[in-house]
Amino acid sequence: MRGLSSSKKMIPIVEGLFEWPSESPRLIASRCPLCGSVQFPKSSVCNNPDCTHDATPEEIKLSEEGILYSYDIHMYDLREPFSYHKAPYAIGAIELPEGIIILARLTRYEGLKIGMRMRLKIDRLYEDDENVYLTYFFEPVEDGGEEK
Amino acid sequence: MTESAVVSATITGWKSAGEPEPAAEILAQLAVKTLRSAGLRPADIDAIISTTSAMPFDHPSFLSTPAQHLAHRVAGKIGTHGIVSMNVSGACASAAAAFAIADSMIKAGRFKKVLVLGYDNSPRGFYYSFASYLDTDTMIGYPLKVVGAVNPTYWAMWARRRAYETGKSIEDIKELMATIKATLSQYGALNPYARYRKVFTVQDVLASPVVDDPLHLYMISAVSRGGGAVLITDMETARGLTDKPVKIAASTAGSPMYGEPSPRLTYFTTAGGKNAKPPFAEWRKPIEDAYRMAGITAEDIDIMEVHDTSAFHVINWIDQAMGWEREETDKLIRSGETRRNGKLPINLSGGTSSFGEAVYAQALMMIYELLLQLRGQAGERQAKKDLKTGMLTAYGAYGSYGTIILEKAW
Ligand SMILES: [Zn+2]
Repeated sequence: MRGLSSSKKMIPIVEGLFEWPSESPRLIASRCPLCGSVQFPKSSVCNNPDCTHDATPEEIKLSEEGILYSYDIHMYDLREPFSYHKAPYAIGAIELPEGIIILARLTRYEGLKIGMRMRLKIDRLYEDDENVYLTYFFEPVEDGGEEK
Repeated sequence: MTESAVVSATITGWKSAGEPEPAAEILAQLAVKTLRSAGLRPADIDAIISTTSAMPFDHPSFLSTPAQHLAHRVAGKIGTHGIVSMNVSGACASAAAAFAIADSMIKAGRFKKVLVLGYDNSPRGFYYSFASYLDTDTMIGYPLKVVGAVNPTYWAMWARRRAYETGKSIEDIKELMATIKATLSQYGALNPYARYRKVFTVQDVLASPVVDDPLHLYMISAVSRGGGAVLITDMETARGLTDKPVKIAASTAGSPMYGEPSPRLTYFTTAGGKNAKPPFAEWRKPIEDAYRMAGITAEDIDIMEVHDTSAFHVINWIDQAMGWEREETDKLIRSGETRRNGKLPINLSGGTSSFGEAVYAQALMMIYELLLQLRGQAGERQAKKDLKTGMLTAYGAYGSYGTIILEKAW
């Protein structure tokens, strides 16, 4: 990923959520070939109750841009083992063109507005002596403005 | 279908969470007290349905085995002749689910007297769900690890979204939530079973630290410990045991609904894509099911106990239960109509806001309050209106829901 480098090993905080290593990593999801239902994280079983479930969902990559549906500004540090989430930080719900809304850390907690265009960014979450741990963030698109 | 009724109920006082105590012993005492108040012995009951209990965060098996088997442990303690015992989980809606199962057993005509139990002693601190060591499911639990989302994160997002959709400012919904907390604290102060008896003003609530903007600390309920026991029977038996039987007009449970567009507690994502339903459809469904089962509409509800893990939950429950324009909910709260002298009293127990949340047992505290209210035994908290029909709504992690409608039957 451009702009993200370290002498340490860079690894995803959880495997299977986004492509890594990759020059332009995207979120990994699944889509049912029968009914088209999209799931993130990916699943081996369709989640649409009206689908026959006669086929296994296929892996897809999600759109990199979405709309900010809502957000929380979290104001206290989490306790161990999650204390690497340092307050304040924002968590957003991002509405993707695929029709699902996913939760994501946002790259900033100020100047946010529901309806903003947001773009995926894989970035550093924290590091220890050996590794840099990565997660997926969304950041406001430059001069994004409100969705019409 | 056999008519069913609540005969008697007891609860413990709610206390601070995280201190070890003998759960089955406490539940056994409640069970005996509940049976004795109806003049029954353990030999007289047909089944015990209990909730499971707390999740020790640091326990590798996620749920400790004894905590999963409270029904059997209590059966062993109070003595039975080998009756049916079952344990039920549904996060914060566990007790509502246990009650619905017991109610179904009676309505089906298979059992006559069933004891419903619930107990919880949650870990200290903010409640959050995370992945088990042995059962990995990236859909659940991982939002905390990966994006730092705690339970109040979801409530904060819902509250902010509601303000946006109704064209209100964040300050407006904060003030509405603070009004709710201030009102509930007045009833908590009057309830000997409530953990928190301090009366808060709107200013006090807004002066408490922001934890998940727009939620302030005093808008979120604390984890607690407590338990309850409820005896339910068929109506004919109930009439022989009490002169004030309370009919179970409906008991329903709910779960994740495909197409629900609101981010669901403990999940990463919504499901259903382009076929999305209006927000909080999965909150409404068990309520609508209950209205149908009881043969009533929202207008017939005289009093409600709603699961208020945060002050936003009260707003959302009113929105969903009443099915009206959301502005009507704001007016109802601000005009004081949810108070005991109002047209729709809500959480005269003081709510989870004043009790704290003993997750698995919470709905039993709500049933207990409705029983007192319908029987006119709530003392200084008694609603100042004729009550016929009361409803409680429960809500929990993983997409767990329950609705119970109780009616005066004398
Ligand atoms: Zn399908």
